[in-house]
Amino acid sequence: MVSAVFDHIVAILIVGAVFVSTVVVLPMVSFGNLQAVDQQQLRNTALNVFNTVLLDTGKPTDWGAFIDFQMNDPRVQRFGLANAEDSRFYVLDADKVQRLVVGNPLNSCDYSQVRSLLGLQGYGFMLKIIPPFNVTFLNTPYVVGNVLYYSVKVTYLTGDPIPNALSDATAVYTKTVGSIGYFNVTESPPVLTNAMGIAEGSIGLAYSEPEYYMVTVRVTVADVATMVVMSGNSYENTIANINVVYDTLILTRVEEDEPKDNVWIYDIIAFDSEGTLWDLYHGGKDQESKLNSGQGMFEFWRKAFYGLHGFDPVMFIFNFWAVDANNNGRSQVLVVMAYPNLLTTNIFEYGGSPSSTKTSVAVQRSVMISGMTYTAELWLWKE
Amino acid sequence: MALERIRSFATNKKAQLRIIETILASLIVVAALTFANLYVIAPTSPKYASDELQKLGYNVLQDLYDQDLLARFVYQNEWDNLESALRVTLPRDVYFNLTVYDLDYQKVNDGPILYGSPEAFSSSKNVAAVTYGLTGYPSKVNSTSYQAVYSPRMIILQLSRG
Repeated sequence: MVSAVFDHIVAILIVGAVFVSTVVVLPMVSFGNLQAVDQQQLRNTALNVFNTVLLDTGKPTDWGAFIDFQMNDPRVQRFGLANAEDSRFYVLDADKVQRLVVGNPLNSCDYSQVRSLLGLQGYGFMLKIIPPFNVTFLNTPYVVGNVLYYSVKVTYLTGDPIPNALSDATAVYTKTVGSIGYFNVTESPPVLTNAMGIAEGSIGLAYSEPEYYMVTVRVTVADVATMVVMSGNSYENTIANINVVYDTLILTRVEEDEPKDNVWIYDIIAFDSEGTLWDLYHGGKDQESKLNSGQGMFEFWRKAFYGLHGFDPVMFIFNFWAVDANNNGRSQVLVVMAYPNLLTTNIFEYGGSPSSTKTSVAVQRSVMISGMTYTAELWLWKE
Repeated sequence: MALERIRSFATNKKAQLRIIETILASLIVVAALTFANLYVIAPTSPKYASDELQKLGYNVLQDLYDQDLLARFVYQNEWDNLESALRVTLPRDVYFNLTVYDLDYQKVNDGPILYGSPEAFSSSKNVAAVTYGLTGYPSKVNSTSYQAVYSPRMIILQLSRG
C-alpha cells in the first residue's frame, strides 16, 4: 500500500516536471508563429493607417489651407492628406503636407497631435516622402558672354545613371543699370541625358553678364516622374521666407530679430511640374509691393493669387529690390524657393524613429504631390 | 525510512514500470500537442510580405495604365522606358523582373526588363508575381479618330525584396 502511494508521488512529480517543461517549451516552439501573427496584425494596422493618411481628406477637408493656422490647430478634427479637389486616388494636398514640415513659420501639426488624431496611442509611426530619383548639378551654372551653361546628373536612388531622361531648362536673370532694373526669362530646348545620366545644355540670354541668374531644370524620366531643381548665382536669402497657403503667398521673417531695410518686390514667377511658367506679379517701388517689416506675426507681405492652388506650383522665383550681399547699394536680387519645402531631392521624414526594423513594419506606395510622383512610406511599430 | 523506500523503489520493477508508463504517456501528450501545433498553420510573415509586394506591383502597373503609359510602352516596344518607369516608381529595395507575352505565350520583349540579379528571384523566399492584361493600343487614324487593333498582351511582373 505504502509502496504504491510512494510510486504515485514520484509519478506525479515527474508528470508535473514534464507538464511545466511542456508549458515552457511549447510557447517557445510556437513563438515564431505568434510573432508572425503579431507582425501581420501590425501590418494590417499599418495598411489601415496608411490608407487613412493617403486617401482621407481629413476634417475639415481644407484644414491645410487655414490662413491663420495655429500650432496643433484644434480645428483639425480628423487627419488625412488627400487632396479634396482631386477625384483621383493618392493625390496629396501640398497645403496639408507642408503642415507636417517641422519649423513651418505658419505653424504645423506636431507628431503627438497627428498620432492622437489617427488614434495610434501605443504605436509609433514615421512617414517618409521619397523622391523618385536624384538630380544634381555637376557645377554651378555659369555665364560666358550672353550664354549660360549648365550640366546636371540624373541618377536612380541607387546611384545608377538614368539615360534618356528629358531635361528642360529655364533661365531667370536680372541686370541693374543705374536705377533701371532688367528682368528676363529665357527657356531652352530639351536635352536628353547621355549614358552617364548627364545632360549638358546652354541657354542664350537676352543680355550679357547678368548680375543674378537662376536656372530651373525640369527632368522627366519615362514620362512618369518629374523633378524640378534649381541652381545659379542667386542671392543668399536673408530677406524673407516664402510660404504658400492655398492661393495666398505669405512672406515671413527669416530671423526674428534681424532688422530689415526697405525691400520691394519687383517680380514673382511660379513654375509648375509641367514646366509652365506663371508671371504672377509685377510690382515696383510702391506701397503695395513694399515688405512691411515689424508688423503682424513676423509677416512681411501677403497677397492672394486666384487659381494658384490649382496651378500646382513647385517653385517660385522672387525678384526683390534690396541691398545686395556685397553692399553695392540697391539692386535686383533673385530668391528661389521650392514649394512646399519638402518638394526637393531630399527625403522628407515626419514622426518618431523605430527602435528596430525587426519590430516595425513598412508599407509603401507612389503618390502625387503638386503633379510630381513620390514614394510615400509609412513605418509603424508598437511602443 | 525514506532511504529504505528508495532502495525498495530501485529494486521494485513494478514501480519502475509505472514511472516508465507515466513518462511514455507524457511524451505521447507532448508529441500530440506538438503535432497539433504544426498542423494549426499560423500565417507566416514572408507569405504576407509577398502579398504586400503583389499589391505594390499591381498598383504600379495600374498607375502606369491610368497615365496612358503602360500600353504605349508595351505596344511601341519602349522597353527602356518601361524599365525606368518601374525603377522610379517602385521602392529601391524592391527588385523586379518583367516579361511580356502574346496570346501564344511567346515572349514579346527582346531583352530582359530586370532590376536586381536573377538570384534575387530564385533564392528569395519572398517573391510575388502579378499578371496584368492589355487588349490593344489605339493608333491615330486621322485628327479626329483612333483605331485599336485587338492584340492582347500578358504582362508578368515578378517582385522580390532585396
